[in-house]
Amino acid sequence: MANSLRLYLTCIRNTLEAAMCLQNFPCQEVERHNKPEVELKYVYVSMILICRNEAEKCLIETSINSLRISLKVKQADELENILTKKFLRFLSMRAEAFQVLRRKPVQGYDLSFLITNYHCEEMQKHKLIDFIVQFMEDIDKEISELKMSVNTRGRLVAAEFLKQFI
Amino acid sequence: MMVATDDFVEADNVEAIISRIEHKSRKIESLLKQSKLVEALKTALEGSPPNTRDERCKSANWIAVHRAIMAMKDLDALFSSLDPEYYNILMKYLYRGLSTGDRPTCDPVPADSRKTHGEGRLGVHTSFPSRHHKYSMMIIAIVI
Repeated sequence: MANSLRLYLTCIRNTLEAAMCLQNFPCQEVERHNKPEVELKYVYVSMILICRNEAEKCLIETSINSLRISLKVKQADELENILTKKFLRFLSMRAEAFQVLRRKPVQGYDLSFLITNYHCEEMQKHKLIDFIVQFMEDIDKEISELKMSVNTRGRLVAAEFLKQFI
Repeated sequence: MMVATDDFVEADNVEAIISRIEHKSRKIESLLKQSKLVEALKTALEGSPPNTRDERCKSANWIAVHRAIMAMKDLDALFSSLDPEYYNILMKYLYRGLSTGDRPTCDPVPADSRKTHGEGRLGVHTSFPSRHHKYSMMIIAIVI
């Protein structure tokens, strides 16, 4: 792993370890309701933005009973832009399988996670953080592999098509 | 009427705060020229405007602290001599630096160092600036 990515992920891991202290908190506006406060912002929400560079950043919004992590993935060219959009949309549509994934990313970002106190009760906190960090590490590899496979297929198709003209 | 009075008082305070920060910046520059890097950073962190809403004050102070942080080379000396009360303030400025997205500020460097000051106290994970004067990213996490 590149050193810059390792330090970026370490910073995010340390921030999540400090931020993921969630507890149950009933909704202050609606009786007998319990909602993630980071989405509604009825109580104070603190935001931490960690940028690796101009193109890659991570926004961590914390509140008393929930935590939202939004990621902006590096997209070097138009092809990566399209592949990232399609791939992350594919994942977002299957958000129930991930449990902590948000169906729609926060505006300005490619992907968002929403972790509530219930997730922290059912799952281990350090495992959740490991998952998020591993996800960030793997997403770059996935996009690169997709790009390579598109280029390879394009090259093969072009070679086959042009053979008829030889 | 009360709001207008508050605005007038705030404007006066802003000018006073900015002139104080300018004076502090000159002091920081002179300390940096004398290679007293730790003192320069302490001076930068002292007297940070706590309750002002004016962006000019916040930006002016951030520039001064940023200058002192970028000049740091020996983080061992820094953390051995910096009072714990400054850790929170330093952490806030570091996260502000990380949020800029500015490459010289956010670009990490090869060397790593980790210091932990024991269970229940401040835990610090930092990275050193390289010997080739590249810009560095200091990462601090509070471990409670």
